[in-house]
Amino acid sequence: MAVERKRRANLADYGLNSERVLMRRKGPGVFEQELGDLESKLMLTTVEKAVAWAQGHSIWPDTFGLACCAMEMIAIVSSRYDVARFGAEVFRSSPRQADLLIVSGRVSHKMAPPLRQIYDQMLEPKWVIAMGACASSGGMFSNYAVLQGVDKIVAVDVHVPGCPPRPEALLEGIVRLQEKILAGVPPAYEIRGVAS
Amino acid sequence: MSWQHIPGFLEKREAHGETTVVVERERLLEAARYLRDEAGFNVLADIAATDYLGWNERRVAGYWGSIGGRDINSPGSWGLHKKPQPKPRRFSVSYHLLALREGAGRLRLQVWCEDGEPVPSVVSVWPTADWHEREAWDLMGIPIADHPNLERILMDEDWEGHPLRKDYPLGGEPVRFSGEE
Amino acid sequence: MALAIERKPAIYEGSRIPRPIPTVLQVDPKLREEGDILEVNFGPNHPSTHGVLRLVVELNGERVVGLKAVVGYLHTGFEKNMEQKTYWKAITYPERIDYLSFQINELVFVLAIEKLLGVEVPPKATWMRMLLSELNRIHSHLVWLGTAALELGAISLLWYCFRERDAILDLFELVTGVRMHTRYFQAGGLAEDIPPGFFTECRRFADVMEARVDEYEDILSRQAIWLERTRGIGLLSAEDAIALGQSGPVLRASGVDWDLRKADPYLAYDQVDFNVPVYPNGDVYDRYLVHMDEMRESTRIVQQALDGMPVGPWIVDDRKIVLPPRHELHTSMESLIHHFKLVTEGYRVPEGEVYVAVESARGELGCYLVSDGGPSPWRVKFRAPSFAALEATATCMSDALVADLIAIVGSLDTLMGEVDR
Repeated sequence: MAVERKRRANLADYGLNSERVLMRRKGPGVFEQELGDLESKLMLTTVEKAVAWAQGHSIWPDTFGLACCAMEMIAIVSSRYDVARFGAEVFRSSPRQADLLIVSGRVSHKMAPPLRQIYDQMLEPKWVIAMGACASSGGMFSNYAVLQGVDKIVAVDVHVPGCPPRPEALLEGIVRLQEKILAGVPPAYEIRGVAS
Repeated sequence: MSWQHIPGFLEKREAHGETTVVVERERLLEAARYLRDEAGFNVLADIAATDYLGWNERRVAGYWGSIGGRDINSPGSWGLHKKPQPKPRRFSVSYHLLALREGAGRLRLQVWCEDGEPVPSVVSVWPTADWHEREAWDLMGIPIADHPNLERILMDEDWEGHPLRKDYPLGGEPVRFSGEE
Repeated sequence: MALAIERKPAIYEGSRIPRPIPTVLQVDPKLREEGDILEVNFGPNHPSTHGVLRLVVELNGERVVGLKAVVGYLHTGFEKNMEQKTYWKAITYPERIDYLSFQINELVFVLAIEKLLGVEVPPKATWMRMLLSELNRIHSHLVWLGTAALELGAISLLWYCFRERDAILDLFELVTGVRMHTRYFQAGGLAEDIPPGFFTECRRFADVMEARVDEYEDILSRQAIWLERTRGIGLLSAEDAIALGQSGPVLRASGVDWDLRKADPYLAYDQVDFNVPVYPNGDVYDRYLVHMDEMRESTRIVQQALDGMPVGPWIVDDRKIVLPPRHELHTSMESLIHHFKLVTEGYRVPEGEVYVAVESARGELGCYLVSDGGPSPWRVKFRAPSFAALEATATCMSDALVADLIAIVGSLDTLMGEVDR
């Protein structure tokens, strides 16, 4: 199904600075409000809305657990912080069957090429959540061995802070990603114009 | 046990309830065999290589490899009250041995070497030394002689330099905060 | 506890340690010519949650004939980072090394600092450290059991184990404020006093835990598929285990009665009563049994620690290493100065080198600390038990099928954060 991409290339024209959507500067509820306005401005067709609804409510993550954050990522599968409520309980081992790459844990320079390879193997549309401080920015490890932020090699949609983030925080990240998708915001590689 | 009978015995130190025995680098293999067979230290727990470059002076490597050091976390950059005891050579390789008997006898077997001097491998004595020696080579640059498979283990195969040396910079990059603009 | 094991030379007649390289299983050259060997890469990202381990495996049909483990995909440079921080700040780093029994890592580093400083920790802090170490051990074994069973197909156990795991993490949150990576131990004792209500909650947990372990054993121990997949797989003889420097559950499952808590007691382990499970066969099933029994014994230790918890200060009184209590800062000039110096510069640790080893969930976790008399460590080296356990994969894997490979790697309970540091 061919979706028109051109008119969504400049989200800034619609008053959306995509980096700021995820930062609560002005108070609670603003995130949803901004996205709500965006939805009406972009004038998504019904089909596009339906596709976004389907994609957003069944995001399948890839098992990319690296370090401590992976333990909290497994915790969201457990019954207390059930992620199945959000449609994302199916953790696929093969990147070719996954939509979402949750980079959980510190990425060393030796691991960066496999990470990029896994990202390349995923089919579009695909999203990336950088979970934890180490994936977002290198975390407490500002040294020779750790990649300072996974957004140097893949395009990240949502950064979840924490060391490690509580399972609820990761769920919040997944929920915000869902809302982004439902609002029609394209995945990060399109916004940034980078290779996917 | 009598320390004098260890082949290549140079020195014995006791501190904090631990015994350290320094042997000559060339006779390490004989000393290791003696300690395993005669003295009963049948487990090699750890091989720790230490770089003492800059031991008595200010730290050599700092942020981005400059001698200034990090501003926020540069403890000791204003000098030490008392200079520590000088060390004989630049590198020390400590073999932590354990005897599986009542009381858990422990011993630290130590050899000293300079940059580039090879240390004989003890893989034939304790097979577990394989990866520990590879790590000593990879991170500290101590060449191990007669090692069956001396390759880099923790860093990339084509990495240059030995990261845990004191003249290797810490790396990383300065942090920019998004509120700055 | 007398250890009567004959001293055999390390590479002896019946040894399965491959030669000439102990950690690499090499394909027989005859087999390479005649059979067709398939080289498969169990890459750094694979569905088992043991982290980023890469196994380059050579298969002859379903049989593993060649094996090489490649590690380093999680190398974080802990040791070099810790050299740049003061001791106080450096305590946050060791936790992330073994991220399942995190407080045990803190413990070993803090014990090393205290050994160099020569301070004596008050008994309440010692007992609390012991209690928290045992909770960490249970936590680590629960996650191990959940994920190892998941890989072998007993998927439902993951949810059972994580139910208990969340209960333990609730306890950690009650004491320290964070679920994981709590940074609760300080050189001299604990960072803060134990909040009220912890002991009640902990007792409630400990009362329930034994029954839960029995529940897990009911599910697995006599189950036909589990027995077939784990009995007789991944054999490691006692002499090979000692030669390969194994420790912890792997060593005890091979028949060697060795536990640092009994052999060389630290903290208050000589004042509590517990057994050390030892099983003779050295296969995956025995390692599983050792883990289950250890969970039970740890629960017993927790209950005894709750019963015998002394009262008193939670940190040593020495103002040169420990922050003075805040109310003193208003009245005492010396306290203010000490507080200032400790926060800006940090305490200085006398020159020396120590090696401290504790029994972590995986084996002997050691910390080699060299100090030059300054406020930050000169060299810190952690001896990770999983590093040695991975060296034993080639020996355990001598005639295994591909499916057994997963079971064996799971049973060795390796954690890549430890291996790569």
